[in-house]
Amino acid sequence: MTKAHLNKLDNEALSALLDGEQHLTDAKIAEQDVTTFGRYALIGDAMRAQKNNNDIHIDISDRVALALESEPVYADFSQSKTQPQAITETVQDNKVVAFNWRKPVAQLAIAASVAMFAIVGVNTLPQSNNEQQSEIPLLQTTPLTGMASPVSYSSEPALENAEQGLRELQQQRIGALVLEHQRQARVANSLETAQTNTKASEEKN
Amino acid sequence: MKVITFVLSLVVSFNAFANDTNPAKDLLLKMANAVHTRNFDASFVVVKGKTMEPYRWVHALQGDTELEHLSLLNGAGLEMVRIDNQVTYFEPQSEPYSLKTDSIAGPIPEVLFKDIDRLSAHYDFVLGGKGRIAGRAAQLVRIESKDEYKYNYWIWLDMESSLLLKAAYVNHEGEALEQLQLTHISVTEQPAGMLLEVLNRNFPTPLPNDALVNEDSTATNWQISWLPDGFELLKSDRHKLDLNNELTDYYLFSDGFVEISVFIQRPLPGKRLSGALTSGATTVYVHNGGNFDVSVVGNVPSMTAKAIAESVTRAL
Repeated sequence: MTKAHLNKLDNEALSALLDGEQHLTDAKIAEQDVTTFGRYALIGDAMRAQKNNNDIHIDISDRVALALESEPVYADFSQSKTQPQAITETVQDNKVVAFNWRKPVAQLAIAASVAMFAIVGVNTLPQSNNEQQSEIPLLQTTPLTGMASPVSYSSEPALENAEQGLRELQQQRIGALVLEHQRQARVANSLETAQTNTKASEEKN
Repeated sequence: MKVITFVLSLVVSFNAFANDTNPAKDLLLKMANAVHTRNFDASFVVVKGKTMEPYRWVHALQGDTELEHLSLLNGAGLEMVRIDNQVTYFEPQSEPYSLKTDSIAGPIPEVLFKDIDRLSAHYDFVLGGKGRIAGRAAQLVRIESKDEYKYNYWIWLDMESSLLLKAAYVNHEGEALEQLQLTHISVTEQPAGMLLEVLNRNFPTPLPNDALVNEDSTATNWQISWLPDGFELLKSDRHKLDLNNELTDYYLFSDGFVEISVFIQRPLPGKRLSGALTSGATTVYVHNGGNFDVSVVGNVPSMTAKAIAESVTRAL
């Protein structure tokens, strides 16, 4: 007789015990593994509840609470509670989305910024039909499937595939350039105003 | 004598007339005014080729204080808050920082919120047709580049409130490269409560304006011999790029409407090809200059970026 078969027989005894078909003795309970016991008890509960149209209560709130505590916070709902009641629900709702900048989603951060640049590469392809553009060679820094697997920012050097490594290097650089351009463009306006002002005052003098 | 006075008055009145005849420009100025004075809550999307970025844009005027909040809703996000002349940028990768400027540098060219008159030298303002955008009657205004080195910009304005409803970078073949479309806008009497809450928050102190310009300018290191008419150098320096820590000589140019960045860096190893990348209206042109790499980034056609990149030589 195999061991598995043995176990099955054991459990039949346990099942009978829990269903009240066998007399309960300490010795019999002690024979059973605690977790198996609990599982069978639950099965029994479920079956009886179905029969009597009752709900069964499985208390997992502790574990959920624990899991929630270790979850990262994406939106700060506690802020909306401080809102005065008079403000409509939609405004409160929006507020949560709009003002959560203090809790940046760190894991998303790099991925998103890089994904943007990966798209830069992929987007060149449809334009190759354009007459004016066709005079200029178009770089393709990402393979067609590149959007799903953007540049890796891990420290792993891309030695295995030199070509791939070079391409990533260029992709990284282009990503960095686009981000830098966006940032520098922000100061452009104040610089321009300052320049116009100096020019105006120079002309006066 | 009387004749002379008559002729003079004729000349004067004709001049005054000529200054006032551009309804397209008037509409744009009206829009700039509306954007600064109305309380509104709008959502828009920016479509660049196959990608799409949704934004929310809220503006309020509380007393004399202007409040504005623009946020990118997808991905890690980007938050921009303006309180009068201070704009704070919240980015996922770095610490928030503030700038002393009176407009947010978002997907809408900043100059549109100001006096667009200064663009007159290099752009024409043309009134287009009427249409229905975002459920409202709209009037098209085209800002057209006088030469082929820059894109045109088309703007659809709400005929009632003068607010912006749609905008697009259009190339000279008439194709829209990058479109911005409002999906919803509500204009209210009272400022939105969520925006007023901004007043109770602390923001980073803005850097003084003179700190933006680096003292040891590298303007003389390189010769950039060609730029489209109207572009002027705003700054030049040598600094490290944030993402990959590479050193670069950097030049920022603007014609008041679009900005162009020129980067000159050490060459990347291996066989480097020159070529262009585009996303919406943004072009990145990478040029192999032999002992150095030149990259040009900006909302200009790739031909323009190519010409600028190839005009860069080492200064003697």
